Amino acid sequence: MILTWVYWAITVLVIVLIVRSLYRETSLREQFVAVMVLVPLLLRVLFIK
Amino acid sequence: MFEKRYLASRLSASLLLLASVAVAAVSASSYLEMRYPDPDVDRVVPQEGFVHKRLSDYFDGIRDTPADTDVYIQEGAEPGGTVLILGGTHANEPAGVVAAVVLLERTEVRRGRLIIAPYANMMARTHTFPQDAHPQTFHFKTAAGTTRTFRYGSRTTNPVNEWPNPDIYIHPLSGQTMAGVERSNLNRTHPGVADGSITERLAYGFMELIRQEKVDLAVDLHEASPEYPVVDAMVADERGMELAAMVTMELEFEGIPMRLEPSPKNLRGLNHREWGENADVLAMLLETTNPSAGRFRGRTDEALILTGADKAYVKSAGLGRLYVPYESGAKPIADRVARHVTTVQLLADNLEYVREGKGVTLEGLPAYPELSGQGVGAFLSD
Repeated sequence: MILTWVYWAITVLVIVLIVRSLYRETSLREQFVAVMVLVPLLLRVLFIK
Repeated sequence: MFEKRYLASRLSASLLLLASVAVAAVSASSYLEMRYPDPDVDRVVPQEGFVHKRLSDYFDGIRDTPADTDVYIQEGAEPGGTVLILGGTHANEPAGVVAAVVLLERTEVRRGRLIIAPYANMMARTHTFPQDAHPQTFHFKTAAGTTRTFRYGSRTTNPVNEWPNPDIYIHPLSGQTMAGVERSNLNRTHPGVADGSITERLAYGFMELIRQEKVDLAVDLHEASPEYPVVDAMVADERGMELAAMVTMELEFEGIPMRLEPSPKNLRGLNHREWGENADVLAMLLETTNPSAGRFRGRTDEALILTGADKAYVKSAGLGRLYVPYESGAKPIADRVARHVTTVQLLADNLEYVREGKGVTLEGLPAYPELSGQGVGAFLSD
């Protein structure tokens, strides 16, 4: 159970880093990539998938 | 053109972020529909005489958890043995699930007791396997014209309930190592662990049910891919082999070819090994042919689940890659359910020969040609 929350915390951290990178990114293509990566992470952090 | 730096801005970042959240919301709605389905989905109408219980009545460790599941018991007028039927250990093997439901809705027990858990792993019913493109539900029309809907789930427990899996799963009782994902597979975690992971606790619940109800014969209904060697088969350990052999011969006489597979002594965690090792029970596992879960399949839709018709499998059969005949180019679910129901009926009929005084007589079940000919819907309640 502890491991689940450790993984959850890692997922939250990755989401924060992706959003940070999204706003710093200067290439539109890289911004597209960032938001595509975000979708499954959002579902995972909300315990939906 | 997207590399042009001036195209990216805080505005584009915000718009894309919103789009991402919108896509996540639409996906979430679809996933949550599997977790919280309409009350009509997976509905069962037990035959009169069945008493409803929960698996947590046998093992409190799964009470109020998503692992808890329905258990139905019917006792005949004459004393005899006890037969347990499990459907849905693997929720992506639909004939196993539907056969358990047909048994639940049609059986009248004359002698002994029948226990049915139609949805053994409820946590596997709430998701489909990533990238397998399976539809979330499949349907049958009943004789009265109503529609019965069942979920098509996954082989393993939803990661929402059990996550993360280890790289390597060490079976607690034997120390045998397996792929990490097997910790979420109910049929690799038997006989279970009282304080283990949620799937291990579920397995422990079934072990407790078998012990407390003094089950004589336990049958787990499965399906396998046409390219898998253990298909259209009955798997039994050395305790159950005599009964399994008798029934295999009877099935052959009825024109239903069935492989007889011994349960490997060194393959641990499977119910046909662990149940018999840990209780005085004859344990069997039945496999029919399910092209919708096979790796060679083409278009994956509800029609494939119900008909088993697939051009890729016709070609595979022509190349000699399958372990079952596929000349008809189909494996209708009615045939697969009929195979399960007929086998269960024969196992119960013959139980008396290997366990004196423990016979079980089941009545009201459709014969193989009836079920195969009229379809599953004709034998489901409205």
